[in-house]
Amino acid sequence: MHDGALPAGSAPPGTVIRMATLLIEQSTAEAAPIPHMRLSRQEHERLRRARGRQRALTAYLFLLPNAVFFTAFLIIPIIFLFYLTFHNGGIITPAKFVGLDNWRRAWSDDLVRTTIRNTVYYCLLAIPSVFVIGMILALCLQRIPRGSGPFRSLFYLPTLTPYVTAALIWLFIVQRDFGALNVTLGLFGIPPQNWLGSTSLVMPSIAMLEVWRGVGFWTLLFLAALLALPPELYQAATIDGASAWQQFRHITLPLMRPTFFFAVVMATIWNLQLFDSVSILTDGGPSNASATVVWYIYKAMFQFNDKTGFAAALSFVLLLFILVLTLIEIRLLRKPA
Amino acid sequence: MAIETEFAELRPPADITRATAARRKGPSLYLIAIYGILVIAAFIALVPFLYVISTSFKDTISLFQYPPEWIPSEPTLDNFRGLLADYPFVRWMLNSFVVASAVTIVKVVIDSMAGYAFAKMTFPGKDALFLVVLMTLMVPFAATLIPLFIIVRDLNLTNTYAGLILPALASPIGIFMMRQFIETLPTDLENAARLDGCSEFQIFRRVILPLIRPGLVVLGVFTFMTQWTSYLWPLVIGTKTEMFTLTVGVQSLRSLFTVNWGILSAGAVLSMLPLVLVFLFLQRYFIAGSIAGALKE
Repeated sequence: MHDGALPAGSAPPGTVIRMATLLIEQSTAEAAPIPHMRLSRQEHERLRRARGRQRALTAYLFLLPNAVFFTAFLIIPIIFLFYLTFHNGGIITPAKFVGLDNWRRAWSDDLVRTTIRNTVYYCLLAIPSVFVIGMILALCLQRIPRGSGPFRSLFYLPTLTPYVTAALIWLFIVQRDFGALNVTLGLFGIPPQNWLGSTSLVMPSIAMLEVWRGVGFWTLLFLAALLALPPELYQAATIDGASAWQQFRHITLPLMRPTFFFAVVMATIWNLQLFDSVSILTDGGPSNASATVVWYIYKAMFQFNDKTGFAAALSFVLLLFILVLTLIEIRLLRKPA
Repeated sequence: MAIETEFAELRPPADITRATAARRKGPSLYLIAIYGILVIAAFIALVPFLYVISTSFKDTISLFQYPPEWIPSEPTLDNFRGLLADYPFVRWMLNSFVVASAVTIVKVVIDSMAGYAFAKMTFPGKDALFLVVLMTLMVPFAATLIPLFIIVRDLNLTNTYAGLILPALASPIGIFMMRQFIETLPTDLENAARLDGCSEFQIFRRVILPLIRPGLVVLGVFTFMTQWTSYLWPLVIGTKTEMFTLTVGVQSLRSLFTVNWGILSAGAVLSMLPLVLVFLFLQRYFIAGSIAGALKE
């Protein structure tokens, strides 16, 4: 057939194939890189690096505004704080070097120990309660067929309240004579308690405020995590006859680990800085039973006589304490045991 | 974008509710108990608000009645009138509004820029810089209070808006959030824009920003809320009454005189009102703001 298509007496078929190959080669050669795009290895490398530099420069420009603010208002202050711990004065009088004096004072100060103890006590009261209640409410919200939206909004309402306002509202609630809490307890025949005036009740009262204000936040966090869990696992577990408790224990809890990890880390960082509600409700009283670390920093700096260096040392203790605790939490919680 | 999917997820998966319904027939005891718990919790969440709202409408006599009235028999606006007449309450609210808005606008802009750089660009030192951002998440604000105060005072910025605003701009959480949002965007989009000859800044303006609008609102709402409720910094930096923010002002209602419960409750109600109103309109963004980042950890 092909032979027939060829002009008679032309070159034998082998030549045609060779010519065709040549033609193909030529045409591909024509489609090859346009001369100016043919780069030598070095040129290529140079351009690539120039482009990389330009991109890096752009990236740094994008980071610049934040870098400026971070340097000025976070990194320099931390270095400055360290410097301040070795000095005294500074608010009214110029600072002078005092060596390790402030550290020694912070170490031997009884009130420092009290404030650390109070702060840790508060965290141990508030964080587990708020997590357990938040988790229970999240599990409830997950299980109801309708009405979850309004409940979510209602639970979130206290979180919207500024701490200051929440603390003022709490003043009304725990007020001894006409406060809602004592009135309610009175209905059950429990005598009125002096919630903020008793050394043993004051920290639980403040922790209660935190639970009231914070529980909505954690509920929604946990709910979002619960709803993101793969339903197949539960279906499989149900088929295998696992009880609700077993499913919770062996599916929900392990899968929620990353969320708990985040929650524990953030909650410790926040709660160790307890100040707002203490400053409004009790100002550290009665007899320092609600004095917290940040409260003491504030007092030492702004209300006692210019104890800047001491307050700085205390701030540094807080910084290290939170840093170390967070790193421990990360170690313990990051990977399944 | 990411937010909408998160919110689709916030509805309970049909499987679970169906499983719940299937396990027990009809409106079971189980569901009633669950609703019971939720109603009690909602009641506890709400009662303090109702209490303080009701108090704000009471006159001095019914304030101390025992047992207290839930709905004042003779509601009065005297407390609100007294508050607005005797205190620069409107000024405090304005201060809070100026500070919170300024911080919000600046943070949304610069954090989305930084988030874009961390999510999509390659440059030397990227990992180290991001580690710095993560580390600063652990730095308690209270620890830098004293050096910050001295710096801001030496810059002569006490009792100024700049003094209230600037330190709040050094907060890492927004960078982190924006990086998470932008990371979820497909790289093809930027590459297409790049082939069309867009500069990196144009890509950011025209491609990235429109796509992460929900994320921007989340960050904005979150930042505004944090600033509106912030207390410690405004307390130390604003010493003149007219430079108080709302939280500091409301708190001063209590310490200036012996407690005037009526005025105090009126102040508490008014200080919550703006955020609650914003919440009603932007609800989903508030909630998303509090869960953003956590889910993707």
